[in-house]
Amino acid sequence: MVFSFSTIAARRYGYGLKPGEEPAADVEALMAQVQRGAKAKPRFPVEGVAGRRETLGRLVSVRAVEAKAAKDGRPNPDLRRETQRDADRLLTHDAMARINQAVSSENGFYERLASFWLDHFSVSARKSYEMRMMVPLYETEALRPRLAGSFSDLLQAAILHPAMLIYLDQNRSLGPQSPAAAKNGGGLNENLGRELLELHTMGVGSGYSQADVQAAALILTGLAVDDRSFEVAYRPQRAEPGTQELLGKIYGQGGRSAGDQLDMLSDLAARPETARHICTKLVRHFVSDTPPPEMIDTMLAAWAESSGNLPAVYRAMLEHPRAFAEEEGKVIPPFDYVVCGFRAFGLTGAEMDALLKGDEDTKEEMAKPLPVKAQGGRPGANGRALTLEALRRMGQPVWQPPSPAGFPDAADAWLSASQLTERIGWARLAARTLGPELQPIEFLDRALGGAESDNTRLVVSQAPSKIHGLTMVLVSPEFNRR
Amino acid sequence: MAKSETSDSLFLSRRGFLASACCAAALPVLTPVSFAAMPGDNRFVTIILRGAMDGLDLVQPYGDPQLGILRPTLALSLKDGLIDLDGYFGLNPAAASLMPLWQAGELSFVHATSTPYRDQRSHFDGQDILETGSMDGKALRSGWLNRALALIPRSASRRAIDINTSMELILAGPSEADVWSTQSNFALAPDELRFLERLYAGDAGFERALSEAVRTDLAADGIYNGGKRGAAIADMARLAGGLLRQDYRVASFSLNGWDTHVNQKTQFGQMAGDLSTAIAGLKEALGPEAWSRTVVLAMTEFGRTARQNGTGGTDHGTGGVAILAGGAVAGGRVLGRWPGLAEDQLFENRDLMPTSDLRELAAAMLYQQFDITPGNLTGKVFPGVSFDKTSIYLKA
Repeated sequence: MVFSFSTIAARRYGYGLKPGEEPAADVEALMAQVQRGAKAKPRFPVEGVAGRRETLGRLVSVRAVEAKAAKDGRPNPDLRRETQRDADRLLTHDAMARINQAVSSENGFYERLASFWLDHFSVSARKSYEMRMMVPLYETEALRPRLAGSFSDLLQAAILHPAMLIYLDQNRSLGPQSPAAAKNGGGLNENLGRELLELHTMGVGSGYSQADVQAAALILTGLAVDDRSFEVAYRPQRAEPGTQELLGKIYGQGGRSAGDQLDMLSDLAARPETARHICTKLVRHFVSDTPPPEMIDTMLAAWAESSGNLPAVYRAMLEHPRAFAEEEGKVIPPFDYVVCGFRAFGLTGAEMDALLKGDEDTKEEMAKPLPVKAQGGRPGANGRALTLEALRRMGQPVWQPPSPAGFPDAADAWLSASQLTERIGWARLAARTLGPELQPIEFLDRALGGAESDNTRLVVSQAPSKIHGLTMVLVSPEFNRR
Repeated sequence: MAKSETSDSLFLSRRGFLASACCAAALPVLTPVSFAAMPGDNRFVTIILRGAMDGLDLVQPYGDPQLGILRPTLALSLKDGLIDLDGYFGLNPAAASLMPLWQAGELSFVHATSTPYRDQRSHFDGQDILETGSMDGKALRSGWLNRALALIPRSASRRAIDINTSMELILAGPSEADVWSTQSNFALAPDELRFLERLYAGDAGFERALSEAVRTDLAADGIYNGGKRGAAIADMARLAGGLLRQDYRVASFSLNGWDTHVNQKTQFGQMAGDLSTAIAGLKEALGPEAWSRTVVLAMTEFGRTARQNGTGGTDHGTGGVAILAGGAVAGGRVLGRWPGLAEDQLFENRDLMPTSDLRELAAAMLYQQFDITPGNLTGKVFPGVSFDKTSIYLKA
């Protein structure tokens, strides 16, 4: 077992080694990936940000017209089905593009950070019709450009994006004493107010009270999503009038305005509980379930000195000696498993596209179990089984977290009998589809870069078949831990 | 002809009655029927209702005049279809398919109950506390059902299964428990399997996952018999029930989706339907004999606000409802001390006041089904909980 800096950098801070791609040789190289990644245009939404806004507006207005006609007794079920299919198809394409983005990007650390922050600010494409098209847009326009900036900017962009307001019901919440509630009924929904404190900023048990949750929810009233343009708007008639006290500070003193929400978000971003919550979560994710306290302290110092500038915090983590220590690592989640697998086979972006093409649209495909006995066959035949279908079965479908807290992140959360069974099935199908030409030991060298144990090397070298040898590399403990 | 058959069967049943009355202790091993009635054949199933199930919506205290005031659109009357249970509480009609169980004395509810979790109302902490059985969810890192396994006097009753893609906290811990999802299918050649065993020789976590996969795959194959597998609630119940009918004695699975902040009526109706399907599916898969030895405990991390919110839903609360089903349940009762819904009777003027500790109920069921001693239950499974043999939850 030989752990070089670049092997650890690629495995622990990226999506693994890929033949033909130069792994980062030092901290500077990893930090450069962050800067490059934040400027790059991701592969989703497939028609681009402006294009997606246009599609979204068009499909939603078509459905609004149909809904109105249906109310007048002239429903058009075909139109409803068609627009539903369009949205499902876009989500399918975007989700595949997200996998391809992680496989083909040379900015591995940035891509891992994108997944980390997406999970931190979880939203689900399953929430509603619009969300199928909006969640990819959210990641691309709200999160990705801000991962190399300040936490405060990132927080504001995430919380004030229509996808977040819809996901956590903020668009339905009215101040109980607001003119809108008086006129039409309705009232407060504290879903976003609570998760803002519990998940996005301070963290549970960090000292806020139920009264603070309620105050945050009241301060958030007035925020609305325009149901045609899908822009976020401040509607004073929905806002709770008067002042609110949150964590000892009074908001709304000069009369309610959109400024209250911005003030609250920047105050929450600046709290020490928030810095500790985020730094701990970063270390848990990248390094260890039991974060070394001195590593957290170094990161907190960098946070304080830079007023929450995220690259300074990432750098403090990477420069700590424990960041590159050799130890038995965490079991990687399903998304990372699939992405690392494709990368080990050396697939380029174009090859990924070819694999996925022509195998993406039919509903029937969705329900089909992973055909573990299928043979290579036509190119692209197994694209869906190896991507979206595999991730669904492994329990981590793209953009569909089980709750606002995101997917599990503990070291062994993804180690179980059925998880292992799914990974074996994936590895076997991937080996048959992508690797019939490869020698297992060569594949081992390029996939693990010296991180394998002597036992793994020996067992792989004696495999009963080439396919089983490749399969064992992909299901080896070393490939699945980092 | 018909007459003689009747007298024959009368004779047989009378003989059986006499035999069991005079020497019950000596007989059980002699016939398959009595073998199935051995104490080691009791089953226990936990269903975790994740997202905070609104107990006030499932079992509505329609006899409390406050209910309609707090919940103008969620409260139902008998006229709206609410199904009367005992003259004070009524069952949400979305769970109507549970009524045959209620009438057969195989279904009870415990109202105004909760774990010791207070004030914070976080799903994730609440579920940790529900599953670890501890006061704060942090002190214990293992699930209470896992700790209970090791304390079951008969080792044959310790086989446990979690129907999921990853181990849930309630069954996680030092004792062996299997995890299996309804779609897992292993399909490895024997030689490939031997190589994998060698591959995992140095990694205890992977070694264990592999041996579980092999073991559970054998059991699950028998149930499916090569047939179709699905992820639906019914499939989950069928798999759990089928494994319990074999040599598993403990099972757990989750129903997600109870976080009804908006338009609760529709969402809650679907979820209540899922819960009914799950319980009915278990009963069917277990068969009459095993079902008669089964307790199903469905529980949630906390209840929801007594008042409905501004969006036709409810927010995170405290006291809620636990559901007991099964042939081994003293059914047809709504248990628990009712705290009332007036402002000063609510917890923090907001939630249903919990009047019992959910852990005592769970302890009682473990005692009843598996003879775990009260000392072990209050010392190791649920440290600090109050429980003894006089618990009101024990079958009279």
